[in-house]
Amino acid sequence: MSTTVPAAGGDGRPPRTSSGPGRVLVAVYGLFALAATARGVTQLLTQYAEAPLAYVLSLVAGIVYVVATVTLARGTATSRRVALVAVSVELVGVLTVGTLSLVDPAAFPRATVWSAYGSGYGFVPLVLPVLGLLWLRRTRPRPVR
Amino acid sequence: MITPLAYAVAALALVSMGWGLVTAVLDKPPGKAQLLYAAGLEVVVLVQSVVALVRLVGGFRPAETATTIGYLIGILVLVPVAFLWANTERTRFSGVVLAVAAAAVAAMTFRLVVLWVPA
Repeated sequence: MSTTVPAAGGDGRPPRTSSGPGRVLVAVYGLFALAATARGVTQLLTQYAEAPLAYVLSLVAGIVYVVATVTLARGTATSRRVALVAVSVELVGVLTVGTLSLVDPAAFPRATVWSAYGSGYGFVPLVLPVLGLLWLRRTRPRPVR
Repeated sequence: MITPLAYAVAALALVSMGWGLVTAVLDKPPGKAQLLYAAGLEVVVLVQSVVALVRLVGGFRPAETATTIGYLIGILVLVPVAFLWANTERTRFSGVVLAVAAAAVAAMTFRLVVLWVPA
């Protein structure tokens, strides 16, 4: 795979976060940003009382995905720092909510994107932050010697 | 929703997904025919959403109306956004971007069929 990653400028520098495979990563993040945000907003507007915690979490997850999508697409130094925080929050979120939803199902009477580690979404929510962190590491600017 | 139309949308989307993956494996950016096909897919998706929304306006009430409306509108943005995102940097990964959008269109269409039952 290393030969297929286009380096920005072609001078051996690491690719931008939005380049090469990063375009697919941003696309998948964008998809989840849309799905989780729309889901959270719809649920909060129409059936808030049924499972407030789960629905607020859906919306929070959606916002985290939106932030990750935008910052990974921009790829500036500041964006990278924000993306690192967003993707880390996402990983902690999916692991925490995933575990809680199995240990204490009563707290999550309605599913969120992160319930059961994202099993309702083909476990993509679990894999995505790991890929995000690996990609941020792969594309980190190399120190000038 | 018209169920046969929904299955047609899903089938067209799955072909688009496969096509995107094939060009990625062949290390090519998406070709003109492939992009036209994606545009055609969007037209059929648009027809499906319009038909379904007209039936909702006409009084049909599925079990989860809000979710259904969200899906019918949300499904419209996937292919156009992926099309633009895939074309701003044309590599093998453009095809994967199109494949992701097409897979989502298929998945959302199957979900819509399930949701489309009277309340």
